Amino acid sequence: MSDISMHLNTDEIELWAQGLLPAARAMHLADCSLCRVEAERERKVILELVQLPKFAPSAGFADRVMAQVKIPTPSGDWEQRPS
Amino acid sequence: MVRDRALAEDLAQETFIKVLNGIKSYRPEFKFSSWIFKIANNAAIDHLRRKSIDTLSLDGAPSAETPDQVRATSLQLGDRTESPLAEVENRELGTAIERAIARLRPEYRSCIMLRHVEGYSYEEIAETLELPLGTVKTYIHRARNELRGYLEDRRD
Repeated sequence: MSDISMHLNTDEIELWAQGLLPAARAMHLADCSLCRVEAERERKVILELVQLPKFAPSAGFADRVMAQVKIPTPSGDWEQRPS
Repeated sequence: MVRDRALAEDLAQETFIKVLNGIKSYRPEFKFSSWIFKIANNAAIDHLRRKSIDTLSLDGAPSAETPDQVRATSLQLGDRTESPLAEVENRELGTAIERAIARLRPEYRSCIMLRHVEGYSYEEIAETLELPLGTVKTYIHRARNELRGYLEDRRD
Protein backbone atom coordinates (compact mmCIF):
# COMPACT_ATOMS: atom_id res chain seq x y z
CA MET A 1 0.00 0.00 0.00
CA SER A 2 1.39 3.43 -0.86
CA ASP A 3 1.93 6.19 1.68
CA ILE A 4 -1.08 8.14 0.53
CA SER A 5 -3.60 5.26 0.62
CA MET A 6 -2.76 4.05 4.14
CA HIS A 7 -5.19 5.19 6.86
CA LEU A 8 -3.74 7.53 9.46
CA ASN A 9 -2.94 5.98 12.83
CA THR A 10 -3.77 7.69 16.13
CA ASP A 11 -0.33 9.27 16.44
CA GLU A 12 -0.57 10.69 12.93
CA ILE A 13 -4.06 12.05 13.59
CA GLU A 14 -2.70 13.83 16.66
CA LEU A 15 0.15 15.26 14.61
CA TRP A 16 -2.31 16.44 11.94
CA ALA A 17 -4.53 18.07 14.57
CA GLN A 18 -1.48 20.01 15.76
CA GLY A 19 -0.47 20.93 12.21
CA LEU A 20 2.66 18.76 12.39
CA LEU A 21 1.86 15.88 10.03
CA PRO A 22 4.13 15.74 6.97
CA ALA A 23 2.32 16.79 3.80
CA ALA A 24 2.82 13.41 2.15
CA ARG A 25 0.67 11.77 4.83
CA ALA A 26 -1.74 14.66 5.23
CA MET A 27 -2.70 14.28 1.57
CA HIS A 28 -4.46 11.04 2.50
CA LEU A 29 -7.17 13.09 4.19
CA ALA A 30 -8.23 14.59 0.88
CA ASP A 31 -9.26 11.17 -0.38
CA CYS A 32 -10.39 9.39 2.80
CA SER A 33 -13.62 10.58 4.43
CA LEU A 34 -13.17 8.04 7.24
CA CYS A 35 -9.85 9.53 8.36
CA ARG A 36 -11.10 13.06 7.71
CA VAL A 37 -14.06 12.64 10.07
CA GLU A 38 -11.87 11.00 12.71
CA ALA A 39 -9.21 13.70 12.40
CA GLU A 40 -11.75 16.52 12.66
CA ARG A 41 -13.27 15.02 15.82
CA GLU A 42 -9.80 14.70 17.33
CA ARG A 43 -8.88 18.26 16.37
CA LYS A 44 -11.97 19.65 18.12
CA VAL A 45 -11.07 17.96 21.41
CA ILE A 46 -7.42 19.01 21.24
CA LEU A 47 -8.44 22.59 20.43
CA GLU A 48 -10.75 22.70 23.45
CA LEU A 49 -7.97 21.39 25.69
CA VAL A 50 -5.42 23.88 24.38
CA GLN A 51 -7.86 26.75 24.99
CA LEU A 52 -8.47 25.92 28.66
CA PRO A 53 -7.77 28.99 30.79
CA LYS A 54 -4.53 29.16 32.74
CA PHE A 55 -4.38 30.89 36.08
CA ALA A 56 -1.61 32.71 37.89
CA PRO A 57 -1.42 32.37 41.68
CA SER A 58 -3.07 35.06 43.75
CA ALA A 59 -1.10 37.86 45.40
CA GLY A 60 0.85 36.68 48.43
CA PHE A 61 1.23 33.12 47.19
CA ALA A 62 5.03 33.19 47.37
CA ASP A 63 4.95 34.71 50.88
CA ARG A 64 2.55 32.01 52.10
CA VAL A 65 4.84 29.34 50.72
CA MET A 66 8.03 30.85 52.08
CA ALA A 67 6.46 31.26 55.52
CA GLN A 68 6.41 27.48 55.76
CA VAL A 69 9.80 26.75 54.24
CA LYS A 70 12.52 25.66 56.63
CA ILE A 71 15.76 27.55 56.09
CA PRO A 72 19.08 26.03 57.19
CA THR A 73 20.93 27.99 59.88
CA PRO A 74 24.74 28.22 60.14
CA SER A 75 24.61 25.72 63.03
CA GLY A 76 23.09 23.11 60.72
CA ASP A 77 19.60 23.33 62.23
CA TRP A 78 16.51 24.40 60.32
CA GLU A 79 14.36 27.35 61.04
CA GLN A 80 11.11 28.61 59.59
CA ARG A 81 11.08 32.09 58.13
CA PRO A 82 9.03 34.43 60.29
CA SER A 83 5.82 35.35 58.47
CA MET B 1 -7.11 18.73 37.67
CA VAL B 2 -9.35 19.60 40.65
CA ARG B 3 -11.66 22.14 38.95
CA ASP B 4 -11.53 24.59 41.84
CA ARG B 5 -9.19 27.54 41.68
CA ALA B 6 -8.84 28.05 45.44
CA LEU B 7 -8.23 24.37 46.02
CA ALA B 8 -5.74 24.25 43.15
CA GLU B 9 -3.85 27.09 44.79
CA ASP B 10 -3.85 25.28 48.15
CA LEU B 11 -2.44 22.18 46.46
CA ALA B 12 0.13 24.30 44.59
CA GLN B 13 1.15 25.87 47.90
CA GLU B 14 1.49 22.42 49.49
CA THR B 15 3.57 21.36 46.47
CA PHE B 16 6.02 24.24 46.63
CA ILE B 17 6.46 23.83 50.39
CA LYS B 18 7.31 20.16 49.83
CA VAL B 19 9.64 21.05 46.96
CA LEU B 20 11.56 23.67 48.91
CA ASN B 21 11.69 21.69 52.15
CA GLY B 22 12.74 18.56 50.27
CA ILE B 23 15.14 20.17 47.83
CA LYS B 24 17.97 17.88 49.03
CA SER B 25 16.11 14.86 47.67
CA TYR B 26 16.02 16.31 44.13
CA ARG B 27 18.08 14.26 41.70
CA PRO B 28 19.60 16.46 38.97
CA GLU B 29 19.41 13.70 36.35
CA PHE B 30 15.69 14.50 36.14
CA LYS B 31 14.21 17.75 34.87
CA PHE B 32 13.45 20.07 37.79
CA SER B 33 10.03 20.93 36.34
CA SER B 34 9.19 17.22 36.04
CA TRP B 35 10.08 16.71 39.70
CA ILE B 36 7.83 19.60 40.74
CA PHE B 37 5.03 18.35 38.56
CA LYS B 38 5.32 14.85 40.03
CA ILE B 39 4.86 16.26 43.53
CA ALA B 40 1.95 18.44 42.35
CA ASN B 41 0.32 15.53 40.56
CA ASN B 42 0.60 13.33 43.65
CA ALA B 43 -0.99 16.06 45.76
CA ALA B 44 -3.89 16.39 43.29
CA ILE B 45 -4.44 12.64 42.99
CA ASP B 46 -4.30 12.19 46.78
CA HIS B 47 -6.93 14.91 47.09
CA LEU B 48 -9.17 13.36 44.41
CA ARG B 49 -8.94 9.94 46.07
CA ARG B 50 -9.77 11.41 49.48
CA LYS B 51 -12.69 13.28 47.93
CA SER B 52 -14.08 10.18 46.25
CA ILE B 53 -14.01 8.34 49.61
CA ASP B 54 -15.73 11.25 51.35
CA THR B 55 -18.39 11.68 48.66
CA LEU B 56 -21.90 10.61 49.65
CA SER B 57 -23.20 7.92 47.35
CA LEU B 58 -26.48 8.63 45.54
CA ASP B 59 -27.47 5.09 46.49
CA GLY B 60 -26.87 5.45 50.23
CA ALA B 61 -23.88 5.14 52.53
CA PRO B 62 -21.64 2.10 52.03
CA SER B 63 -22.22 1.23 55.70
CA ALA B 64 -26.01 1.06 55.28
CA GLU B 65 -27.15 -2.52 55.83
CA THR B 66 -30.95 -2.39 55.93
CA PRO B 67 -33.36 -0.88 53.33
CA ASP B 68 -34.30 1.81 55.89
CA GLN B 69 -30.64 2.76 56.38
CA VAL B 70 -30.13 2.88 52.60
CA ARG B 71 -33.17 5.18 52.22
CA ALA B 72 -32.05 7.37 55.12
CA THR B 73 -28.57 7.90 53.68
CA SER B 74 -29.53 8.26 50.01
CA LEU B 75 -29.28 11.62 48.32
CA GLN B 76 -32.83 12.74 47.56
CA LEU B 77 -33.09 14.81 44.40
CA GLY B 78 -36.87 15.00 44.07
CA ASP B 79 -39.08 14.37 41.04
CA ARG B 80 -37.71 15.60 37.74
CA THR B 81 -37.72 14.94 34.08
CA GLU B 82 -33.94 14.59 33.88
CA SER B 83 -31.94 11.82 35.51
CA PRO B 84 -30.25 12.36 38.91
CA LEU B 85 -26.87 12.17 37.19
CA ALA B 86 -27.83 14.83 34.65
CA GLU B 87 -29.15 17.05 37.44
CA VAL B 88 -25.90 16.77 39.38
CA GLU B 89 -23.91 17.45 36.22
CA ASN B 90 -25.96 20.50 35.36
CA ARG B 91 -25.34 21.97 38.79
CA GLU B 92 -21.59 21.77 38.24
CA LEU B 93 -19.83 24.87 37.08
CA GLY B 94 -17.44 25.09 34.20
CA THR B 95 -17.39 24.55 30.49
CA ALA B 96 -18.36 21.27 28.84
CA ILE B 97 -14.70 20.35 28.36
CA GLU B 98 -13.95 21.01 32.05
CA ARG B 99 -16.87 18.82 33.10
CA ALA B 100 -15.74 16.13 30.67
CA ILE B 101 -12.18 16.24 32.08
CA ALA B 102 -13.61 15.89 35.59
CA ARG B 103 -15.19 12.58 34.59
CA LEU B 104 -11.87 11.06 33.53
CA ARG B 105 -9.90 8.74 35.79
CA PRO B 106 -7.21 10.79 37.60
CA GLU B 107 -4.44 8.94 35.74
CA TYR B 108 -5.98 9.83 32.38
CA ARG B 109 -6.56 13.37 33.55
CA SER B 110 -2.89 13.89 34.49
CA CYS B 111 -1.69 12.55 31.16
CA ILE B 112 -4.10 14.51 28.99
CA MET B 113 -3.44 17.77 30.85
CA LEU B 114 0.32 17.36 30.57
CA ARG B 115 0.07 16.52 26.89
CA HIS B 116 -2.40 19.05 25.57
CA VAL B 117 -2.50 21.80 28.18
CA GLU B 118 1.15 21.89 29.26
CA GLY B 119 2.56 20.67 25.93
CA TYR B 120 4.76 17.89 27.34
CA SER B 121 6.05 15.17 25.01
CA TYR B 122 5.01 11.57 25.60
CA GLU B 123 8.52 10.84 26.86
CA GLU B 124 8.43 13.72 29.35
CA ILE B 125 5.06 12.54 30.65
CA ALA B 126 6.38 9.01 31.07
CA GLU B 127 9.35 10.34 33.04
CA THR B 128 7.26 12.70 35.14
CA LEU B 129 4.57 10.22 36.07
CA GLU B 130 6.96 7.24 36.18
CA LEU B 131 4.85 5.30 33.71
CA PRO B 132 5.94 3.20 30.73
CA LEU B 133 5.76 5.12 27.44
CA GLY B 134 3.19 2.69 26.03
CA THR B 135 0.94 3.23 29.06
CA VAL B 136 1.12 7.00 28.61
CA LYS B 137 0.11 6.69 24.95
CA THR B 138 -2.75 4.35 25.84
CA TYR B 139 -4.01 6.66 28.61
CA ILE B 140 -3.90 9.70 26.32
CA HIS B 141 -5.70 7.97 23.47
CA ARG B 142 -8.35 6.59 25.82
CA ALA B 143 -8.74 9.96 27.52
CA ARG B 144 -9.25 11.71 24.19
CA ASN B 145 -11.78 9.09 23.12
CA GLU B 146 -13.68 9.50 26.38
CA LEU B 147 -13.61 13.28 26.08
CA ARG B 148 -14.91 13.08 22.53
CA GLY B 149 -17.67 10.77 23.68
CA TYR B 150 -18.72 13.07 26.54
CA LEU B 151 -18.64 16.18 24.39
CA GLU B 152 -20.51 14.61 21.48
CA ASP B 153 -23.16 13.13 23.81
CA ARG B 154 -23.87 16.59 25.13
CA ARG B 155 -24.17 18.04 21.63
CA ASP B 156 -26.65 15.34 20.48
